[in-house]
Amino acid sequence: MNHVNVTCNDRDRIFEDGAPAEWAALEAHAAGCATCAEELRAWKSLSAAAAELRDLSDSPSLWPRIQRSLAEQAARKTHRKLRWDWQSFRQSMSLSWQTAAAGAIVLLLSLSAGWFYLHRTPPPQSSDFLKTKALADVERTESAYTQAIDKLAADAKPQLDNPETSPLLANYREKLLVLDSAIDDLRAQTGQNPSNAHLRYQLLAMYQEKQRTLEEILEEKR
Amino acid sequence: MGTLGLALPWKHRIPPVPCQRERRVEPFRDVAAPDPAAEAMRAEDSALAAACQSGDLRAYERLYAQQGTRMKNLARNLLGNPIDAEDAVQETFLKVQRGIASFRGQSSFVTWTFRILVNTCHDARRSRMRKKEVANDDSEESPRLEPRAPSAHPSLRLALERALASLTRHQRDVFLLYEVEGFRHAEIAAMLEITEAASKNTLFQAKKNLRQVLDAPRGSDVPGAR
Repeated sequence: MNHVNVTCNDRDRIFEDGAPAEWAALEAHAAGCATCAEELRAWKSLSAAAAELRDLSDSPSLWPRIQRSLAEQAARKTHRKLRWDWQSFRQSMSLSWQTAAAGAIVLLLSLSAGWFYLHRTPPPQSSDFLKTKALADVERTESAYTQAIDKLAADAKPQLDNPETSPLLANYREKLLVLDSAIDDLRAQTGQNPSNAHLRYQLLAMYQEKQRTLEEILEEKR
Repeated sequence: MGTLGLALPWKHRIPPVPCQRERRVEPFRDVAAPDPAAEAMRAEDSALAAACQSGDLRAYERLYAQQGTRMKNLARNLLGNPIDAEDAVQETFLKVQRGIASFRGQSSFVTWTFRILVNTCHDARRSRMRKKEVANDDSEESPRLEPRAPSAHPSLRLALERALASLTRHQRDVFLLYEVEGFRHAEIAAMLEITEAASKNTLFQAKKNLRQVLDAPRGSDVPGAR
């Protein structure tokens, strides 16, 4: 070991960061220096006194407590991780994959809807709507009925056109005008909705009323 | 100067001890020859960290078996009572478990754990101080000294505890870590995120201040010794 010379001025530096050789030199110096000897003893005594602050007594309940809380925290972490995995899976899907998945879901829903549509129970046919064949029969009969009423109207026309007619015939004329107007409206509506049986019944009632009126006019003539 | 503030001179109150510098070897002094014991400790430390990272609860039990008493003792000296100390140790273990994924091995696992413990203790002290402020308690925040296991020199311990309260936070940390818990300056530097030189200087200042406080004549106003 190299011989190291120390003085009282080196003491603090050695206390702070002295090499072992310097400590040994300080010890040697303190043998002949009362001040340094006292300082050295007090310095070492502080370290020895620090041992008094060591309490190595056992705490039997501490580890079980820590263990329990560690296990609880680990369980919570696992639970959070599971949730995070699903979210991260969704987030990690690229836009094209998300679009493809959404398309697949829409396709599946469409196929299901189509299947249900094709296999549905047919709804009961409403009596207000006429089938094609029945509609043709109604239109043929209505045409013949109209022609018959037109013949009656032609027979009653000279009587109605006579300017010396009675007030009663004037009323019949007014009534026929109203009925013809109503018949025109109903025919326009049935032209737009030919299968509507309700409109057909109304039209038939108008024709019947016109027929009765014309018959009454002809009765007046006799 | 020979007598401190207590009834007896140092040489009478505590037995003479060999030079404490021989107790631990600073790492920079043994770089020439690798120490097999130190190597084994490093390997054990890495294995322990890896086991904790894998989520093995038995690894935490091993950590507690190795360091639990020392952790509790440090927390006891920083916080002043065993109940708060146990809470701090428990909280430290939970923080270690939460943050183990971020441990990169830049310091030893034990050093990292003690850094968390020191911070946890400071947080607990700050929290206690805030509660005191809320409660309009004007007493100074210092570790509340509560009885503990009997020792050979109870009056010396009490005087030292009171004297420690007069130190700055860093001085107290370094003194306790070095002189009481036996950590090396390199380890303390890693724990407190300071340089090794700063750790040495802080210890020197702490001991100088402690000597001044303990040397003060009886009846004088000792800071922190109220």
